[in-house]
Amino acid sequence: MNKKLFDHYIIEKKQKNRRIEAEEVCGLYSSLNLSEEERMIRRFEYLMSLEELYFLDEEQIPFVRTVSNTPEIYTPEEWEERKKKHYIHESGYRSNLCPDYEKVLRYGLLKVAESGSESFKRMVHSILELTGKYEQEARRHGLHELADMLKQVPASPARTFHEALLCLRILNFAIWVEGNYQISLGRFDQYLYPYLEKDLNENILNEQEAYELLSEFFLSLNKDNDIYPGVQPGDNGQSLMLGGKTKDGSYLFNKISRMSLEVCEELKLIDPKINIRVDRDTPEEVYLLGTRLTKVGLGFPQYSNDDVVIPGLLKLGYDYEDAVEYVVAACWEFIIPKVADDVVNIAALSFPKTIDTCLHRDLVDCNSYEEFLDCVRKQLEEDIDGHRMSVNGLRFVCAPLLEGLMDWKGKAKYVNYGMHGVGLSTAVDSLTAIQIHIYEKKDIGKEELIKAVDEDFKNDPVMLHLLRHETEKLGSNDERSNRNLQFLIDRFGTYLNNKPNDQGGIWRAGTGSAMYYLWYADEIGASADGRRKKEPFAANYSVSLFADVKPFSLLKAMTSPDLTQVINGGPLTLEFHSSVFASDDAIRSVAAYVRQFILQGGHQLQLNTVNADTLRDAQKHPENYPLLIVRIWGWSAYFVELDKAYQNHVIMRQEYRI
Amino acid sequence: MTGRIFDIKEFAVHDGPGLVTTVFLKGCPLHCAWCHNPEGQSYEKELMIREKSCHHCGLCFKPCTHPECQPFHRCIHICPDDLIRIAGEDLEAKELAQRIRKNKDILDGVTFSGGEPLFQAEFLLETISYLDGLKIAIETSGYAEPETFQRVIDKTDLVYFDIKLAEETGHIRYTGASNNLILQNLNLLKDSKKPCVIRTPLIPGITDTEKNLREIKRLIEDLPHELLPYNEMAGVKYAMLGRKYPLSL
Repeated sequence: MNKKLFDHYIIEKKQKNRRIEAEEVCGLYSSLNLSEEERMIRRFEYLMSLEELYFLDEEQIPFVRTVSNTPEIYTPEEWEERKKKHYIHESGYRSNLCPDYEKVLRYGLLKVAESGSESFKRMVHSILELTGKYEQEARRHGLHELADMLKQVPASPARTFHEALLCLRILNFAIWVEGNYQISLGRFDQYLYPYLEKDLNENILNEQEAYELLSEFFLSLNKDNDIYPGVQPGDNGQSLMLGGKTKDGSYLFNKISRMSLEVCEELKLIDPKINIRVDRDTPEEVYLLGTRLTKVGLGFPQYSNDDVVIPGLLKLGYDYEDAVEYVVAACWEFIIPKVADDVVNIAALSFPKTIDTCLHRDLVDCNSYEEFLDCVRKQLEEDIDGHRMSVNGLRFVCAPLLEGLMDWKGKAKYVNYGMHGVGLSTAVDSLTAIQIHIYEKKDIGKEELIKAVDEDFKNDPVMLHLLRHETEKLGSNDERSNRNLQFLIDRFGTYLNNKPNDQGGIWRAGTGSAMYYLWYADEIGASADGRRKKEPFAANYSVSLFADVKPFSLLKAMTSPDLTQVINGGPLTLEFHSSVFASDDAIRSVAAYVRQFILQGGHQLQLNTVNADTLRDAQKHPENYPLLIVRIWGWSAYFVELDKAYQNHVIMRQEYRI
Repeated sequence: MTGRIFDIKEFAVHDGPGLVTTVFLKGCPLHCAWCHNPEGQSYEKELMIREKSCHHCGLCFKPCTHPECQPFHRCIHICPDDLIRIAGEDLEAKELAQRIRKNKDILDGVTFSGGEPLFQAEFLLETISYLDGLKIAIETSGYAEPETFQRVIDKTDLVYFDIKLAEETGHIRYTGASNNLILQNLNLLKDSKKPCVIRTPLIPGITDTEKNLREIKRLIEDLPHELLPYNEMAGVKYAMLGRKYPLSL
């Protein structure tokens, strides 16, 4: 690690002092009646020309954002108009895609632009202009080697590992400037490896130098990330994928994969967010390296299981050659680099809301649990359809640069939509509670339960205790609970998967929650699992916040359903207490646990290393914890920069001490 | 037969290699001053209350009709924060084995701890008899009838054996019993050639003295020896039982 760069950019954050604001442009664009494409190009040209050079002598991978904002291309009135005509997703701009970095590395932007649109050519021109300025600056500093590299990339093919990283950094920079967000870095170790291998073979570079370059590249992804907040700071989608099956069926895990994990372990930063693809045959070493990184407490790596994800993608109609290349989008949504234009987070189903509807409307009339489940099934389908139908006439603002970096050949090969499945554990636990207490033990009456839920259990502490602490929860590996989980996943997957969307693509079901674990929890009151009003759901595919379940039972329970049906993604999240990792033996045990999750058929797993006492102290004294990192729903963030509700949720999660 | 346990801990990384479940059996003939599982000492069921988090709402004092609450004059089914539980659960050996076996396909082994697992040797042996195919370890103080000790170690794959104090007077003072039986069983363990780890908890000024550690080394000869650092949290459970930690200042 270059200590001087680290101090400058991370500790002292000196680059922040040089930030300038771009002026509003939408009024002008509107009065000129410019087309959308022209607006995007002009804004890009404007911002790129405004970017000032920011350059330290010891920097091997320059480029720092100095413009801190991205002005709108449309006026508020124009946005209103657009919203009337189209379905606008989030900010309306492009996100959650993975471009074809490989083609730029191999051919250079000029060559790629030859077959690109006029708009793409103009944007490339603008990128090369700024690169030219950096080149001159490097020469002025006497850094001729670096200047030569900037002359080469990204215009022409990358010749070395260093040039490849430089090229990637410039692309990453430019994609953000265009106004896109949460753009994945793809199968990093796969597309970069040829460059490293060649350099090592030809003695252009030794491994230590390669490590330092990679370290500087990772650091560069943290220079500007404070100006790229998503729902919360840290939610920026700079994810990269390591490992995994390749087209020829072999398992890829190379020097770059290893080095990436080691660099992250040393830097301890929130970006890039590391994902590892594993499968049944993944060597133990990979899990050990991954667990060593988990110990550091960055909330990654996140694991995904090729043995479940690839078959799941095939069922959704992806070709094998594409499925085998999958990566994750911003958080955990599985996407195909280059060829897909999937919108993986366009809708979110609330499972607890479905159960709540049936509890209030149907329970009284249902004479058996099966009858009640049938009502749940029908309501679930109705709710899924509601979300499905609400998305009609989707339209993104065009992104000439990003689109030119994809491999869409006119129209993308896949235009599918993803629907999150939120609050799964609350829903499963509510079903199990109803099954046990209403239909099996009959120790709670139907009206009695509804009344208690409506009163937030205020008048019945014994019932609250019974439902909340003495009734089998998801993760306890109770057969009823597992069956209820399987039921919801089956119904969600079977009903939604492969249903057509309005783009000619299909829908995909997932177990992710994104921020809806907080947002949707407020839509309903208390629930039959003993969850009080206003208490949040668990994030993603995790057990309820007050479920007192044990690690092995949890692993068995969470891998019990057929998870190939929910391949929009969404991980089981586990919190380990930081004391767990005290010894090498403990690291081996955690690695063995992760491996078992994969062998048992889990689809995705993320691990947090936390210490609630530290987090509570950080809430009181944020100044002492500027670099304390936690995993939120699918991304890592600096704890003290988060809103309180997100902070509290991490504190409430069960910490496993082993 | 029926036995009494006070906890089952899944994924106990310090109790054996790989993915291990540890079962804690209730009751122990020793009463070590530094014991960090005081609820394991008495065979009797005990009420444990996490007083520190208690909001004193008083709900648990409301009379109830649950038979299990009656001996304690407290309702254990009402606490809004779930702070009250009974340490001590009775179950059949078969039932315990079934619970453990539920996770068999991901499990590397089972460790029986306590309390003192040999204090319920018959129950332990019956449970083990249902656990074919799993690696069995025990964590023992070594305080048991030699005949019992021999029967149990014959059925185990790994023995964690505590030697706390080499000298008898000190042993009686701090654990409440002589170490005579323990040293006899140590010899049986040596003769058995069973894989074992001798453990000594390092209690400041009591067991961590140079003399004691040298004496222990002499007794155990070349058996693998692990020194366990003093657990700073050792005292926390005493307050839950309404007791005072003997080593607290």
